[in-house]
Amino acid sequence: MTHYHPSIETLTDYAAGSLPLAHSLCISTHLELCSECQQQVRKLEMLGSEFFEDTKSEDRQLNSLKDSFFAHLETESHSATLAEQAKEEKRQMLDQTNESKALDWDAYKVPKSLRQFIPKGYDDLKWSRISPSFKMATLCNEEGGAQIALTRIKAGSHMPTHTHTGDELTLVLEGAFSDESGVYRQGDFISRDSSHKHQPIVTKDAECICLTVLDAPVEFTGWFTRLLNPILRRHHPHSGL
Amino acid sequence: MECATKLQPDEQRLADMTAIAEHRDQAALGRLFDHYVPKVRSFCLAAQPGANLMADDIAQEVMIRIWNKAHTYKPDTASLNTWVFTLARNARIDYLRKNSRHQSDIDPEYLWQNVVDENADPFKDAQQKRDQERIKDALEKLPQDQKQVLAKVYLEGKTHKEAAEELSLPLGTIKSRVRLALHKLTIYIKR
Repeated sequence: MTHYHPSIETLTDYAAGSLPLAHSLCISTHLELCSECQQQVRKLEMLGSEFFEDTKSEDRQLNSLKDSFFAHLETESHSATLAEQAKEEKRQMLDQTNESKALDWDAYKVPKSLRQFIPKGYDDLKWSRISPSFKMATLCNEEGGAQIALTRIKAGSHMPTHTHTGDELTLVLEGAFSDESGVYRQGDFISRDSSHKHQPIVTKDAECICLTVLDAPVEFTGWFTRLLNPILRRHHPHSGL
Repeated sequence: MECATKLQPDEQRLADMTAIAEHRDQAALGRLFDHYVPKVRSFCLAAQPGANLMADDIAQEVMIRIWNKAHTYKPDTASLNTWVFTLARNARIDYLRKNSRHQSDIDPEYLWQNVVDENADPFKDAQQKRDQERIKDALEKLPQDQKQVLAKVYLEGKTHKEAAEELSLPLGTIKSRVRLALHKLTIYIKR
């Protein structure tokens, strides 16, 4: 049962297709774990279809477009089918790898929306050690500037106090952590802006894996951990600018 | 076709979908083309005024998807209009992803797929229709200023932040209008 959800504005932008893809990825993963938000998105899509249905049609004649569409239907549909088949095979392969992994009693199940970046499970990712208890693996760097990454923190450890230089979205995939505002468990979604400064602590029973979407690099604010900032910056797509 | 004239437009389109899925009926696809292509084009032109080529591309892409995916459409999970709206939305996202300055490695196909297939529920059909009716009725009664913000988000592809800038209103005002509207539409329930 998730307790922290994306705001209704964010869900609306997601359903309308106007949210940046990096953020949509995070929302999509949350939806897999939250039936409540799934229902809301379903209704928001219904609302979208009302606007879609009401669009004013222009007077333009579409005969030539229709002729050329039907002239190319067979070839277009064939190549689209091939592309679709390739995708479906890849998807099934990813699902199978994940399902068979999930049979191992200690294996984690990777959410479907993340399988395009995590084909073989969390352990097979390239993790970089930021501190003895804190590892990070970049899934994808968007050219627009967002960084999508997983963070993995050992049971019971503190993450260094940090602020965000841009917006940060966090989704708990495994385990739990807390900060001064609450306890976050699997499926919980947290959005923080640059004014926020916090020190998350992972619960003692298990390690914590989170999906994070960062619009700009995190900055540690502790006197010692500040030394780590150049390392974090190097991992972020804005580095070298 | 004789029997075609007796059906309501909505029912005719559902029959067309079945004809496409089962008999690869191009005439049925032609009728859906006449109905949906102008809508998809307007939907795209609302976001990018004047971009006729883009609108044509996306509209054709949506029709190809209808042709190839008709058999996956389940009338009890979504109305046909909602289904086509999600196709158009995803095709627009995909087009922008492939053609924009900021290319993205994220494949949107993987994002919206999981929300679609849910377990079968015998009451879902009725529930789905009720929700859609309720939203439609409430939308008609919505004050213009609330409708305007929602239209910006849905048709013009603006985020709430962008809508606020464009209407020269504080983000807080936009947010409260949207929340008020969604509350009336029974979509937003305060948690």
